[in-house]
Amino acid sequence: MRRRVLVAMSGGVDSSVAAAMVREQGYDVVGVAMRLAPEPSAPIAKRRGTCCSHDDFEDARRVAERMDFPFYVIDLRADFAARVVDNFVSEYLGGCTPNPCVMCNREIKFDRLWSRARALAADYVATGHYARIEHGTDGRFHLLRAADDAKDQSYFLFTLGQDELARTIFPLGAMTKTEVRARARALGLATADKPESQEICFVPDGDYASFVERRSKPAQLRPGSVVDSEGRRLAAHSGVHRFTIGQRRGLGVASGERLYVREIRAESGEVVAGRREELDSPGLIANRISLVDNSIASGRELSVEVKIRYRHRAIPATMRIDSERRAEIRFASGGPAVTPGQACVFYRGEEVLGGGFIERAITDEQAN
Amino acid sequence: MPIYFDHNAGATVRAEAAAAVSRLLSDMGGNPSSVHRAGQRSRRMLEVARAQVAAIVGAEPRQIVFTSGGTESNNLAIFGAITAASRRRKIVSSQIEHSSILAPIAELERRGFDAVRVAPDSDGRVDPGRVLAVLDSETALVTLGLANSEVGTIQDVAPLASMCGAAGALLHIDAAQAVGRIPVEVAALGCDLLTLSGHKLGAHSGIGALYVRDFARLAPIVFGGPHESGMRAGTPNLVGAVSFGAAAEAAMNAMAAESVRIGSLAASLLARIREAIPGLRLNGPMVGRLPNTLNLTFPGVLGESMLIALDLEGIEVSMGSACAAGAVEPSHVLGAMGRSVADARSSLRISLGWNNTAQEIEAVAALIPEVWRRVAAAEPLSEASAR
Repeated sequence: MRRRVLVAMSGGVDSSVAAAMVREQGYDVVGVAMRLAPEPSAPIAKRRGTCCSHDDFEDARRVAERMDFPFYVIDLRADFAARVVDNFVSEYLGGCTPNPCVMCNREIKFDRLWSRARALAADYVATGHYARIEHGTDGRFHLLRAADDAKDQSYFLFTLGQDELARTIFPLGAMTKTEVRARARALGLATADKPESQEICFVPDGDYASFVERRSKPAQLRPGSVVDSEGRRLAAHSGVHRFTIGQRRGLGVASGERLYVREIRAESGEVVAGRREELDSPGLIANRISLVDNSIASGRELSVEVKIRYRHRAIPATMRIDSERRAEIRFASGGPAVTPGQACVFYRGEEVLGGGFIERAITDEQAN
Repeated sequence: MPIYFDHNAGATVRAEAAAAVSRLLSDMGGNPSSVHRAGQRSRRMLEVARAQVAAIVGAEPRQIVFTSGGTESNNLAIFGAITAASRRRKIVSSQIEHSSILAPIAELERRGFDAVRVAPDSDGRVDPGRVLAVLDSETALVTLGLANSEVGTIQDVAPLASMCGAAGALLHIDAAQAVGRIPVEVAALGCDLLTLSGHKLGAHSGIGALYVRDFARLAPIVFGGPHESGMRAGTPNLVGAVSFGAAAEAAMNAMAAESVRIGSLAASLLARIREAIPGLRLNGPMVGRLPNTLNLTFPGVLGESMLIALDLEGIEVSMGSACAAGAVEPSHVLGAMGRSVADARSSLRISLGWNNTAQEIEAVAALIPEVWRRVAAAEPLSEASAR
């Protein structure tokens, strides 16, 4: 019997080509588009009259028709709201800068969707992520960076463990974006020349602050002061959710020198601004650590490269994981600004070892 | 071959309808309204079809207005009756109607009319007494579905005709799901207007009809030429009408035997899967339900998952109503019957039709419990967030 693959399709070129490729490889392909966003973006609702007649789903459906496999729209809005959106809002309210794509992969695509895949008698889940999975001679599965460094999405996938990798297919891992588009055109897919999606899907206008405010009670917001490193009050602000580490605009401070957000203290509502060079930290504490392969011993100091924001380069560091799934990471040399809430992903060369969520930066005074 | 169990959404086209259409397609031309002989030939075929459709509900052919389908018939009945009854500004219906009733009523409300939607009981029955209670001299129209499309409940509409008559209101019966499945006689119902749908009884889609007892009490909603007794402008859909006529005649001839046969297939399917699925619940009454319709709540699973899993096994059923993108929304009918949203999201509709066989029931009776066990184990409801 042919093995069945559930392919998550967004209507974009990547997942379209991913679906077409597993189809060509002879799998029994079932395409699904996930309805995730809790509320329609206004222009779409206005244009099409209803919340779900999303053009993207129709694009995905056309690909499925062209490649001759069944396709369904599935409604995971409730799960997405509870596991991704609520988390996004509460992280911002707590002074952190969340990465909802990591959460969506962990909670929706490789958890909720996988349950659905089993319900539909599928053996694998495939997505259009740019990352590679290698089944080693040791019998272990390895998660590797994509061949196309500019598109590499392995950062978003660090929560996958052996069980998930064993039943996941990333058909695009060895391809470049240019090759993917060429493949889409060769296959005659309608999505071949679609533009990249950039924004977070449930905040299409990119205005996170307003989104957080719409989904919070006024009492949950933490207004307060922008202060300098010595605690002097520079300006007032309407909520810590409006800031992220390294932010320069919107501080409301008229100052001779450029100031950046270096720390957000949610409890007191203080946003600490400082000079560019005050942003750097020697290391960080991350929690909710997950490892691609649990055979990495805890308690031992490991040399790794860490990536602490998606668009950053991985930098050399040492890491020690404790028994509480927390890790202390020290950068080998002058570290970058550390943003609580973001994912911290450990690499060794091409390979993803695991990662966690940044709890806080380590300051020099704390170093010992 | 997939097994098709979604006849309430659209029945498989009957062989008689397909044959009539293919005869017509090879020899077509002429507007039925034209004077020349091609037109006259078309006209004759249209009138034969009209008589065939009229016969299935015991109407006079001249009382049948062809439309594009049940939705248009319902729109014509509602907007046409409201327009003709110029002073009366109230419409009475129920909470479990088809969207082609509910949406026109919502539109009337938007325009300032009054609407009352009577609640059904837990089996989907609308108590005629509750309709009577809200009927008054302001009421222009009472509109009620004869058989519910989702759960199959058949309404007791017999008392309504005299009530409406006494109040001076028109009575419209949406019989789209009933005609061809159970005997429907306009005289016995005493209704003023009655909706028929072609594809629900085995014609092609795109054709329907409205029975109009008295043209003086209905105003047209589409204006143009004097077609369909001035009640529905536009060149008649001859292909559709011929299909509808042939399907109606075939359905009428087969109804007595078919309803018994389909009823026993459905009953045996229900008995078999009930035995295999503890906690399975039938929505709607045991008696007084369309013989072909089973609306079932499957414990512990999402209907959406069951629907897709069954489709991948070649069994075609349905759930609630599909949104524009093809995702499913929980049924408003089950909600009105007092079921929770969670229950509605666990419910599927299985609707049989003229071409289903005992062998299909045999196959499906084994497969449905198997699929249910797999889905319940892989994706238990406790894991999926309830909405």
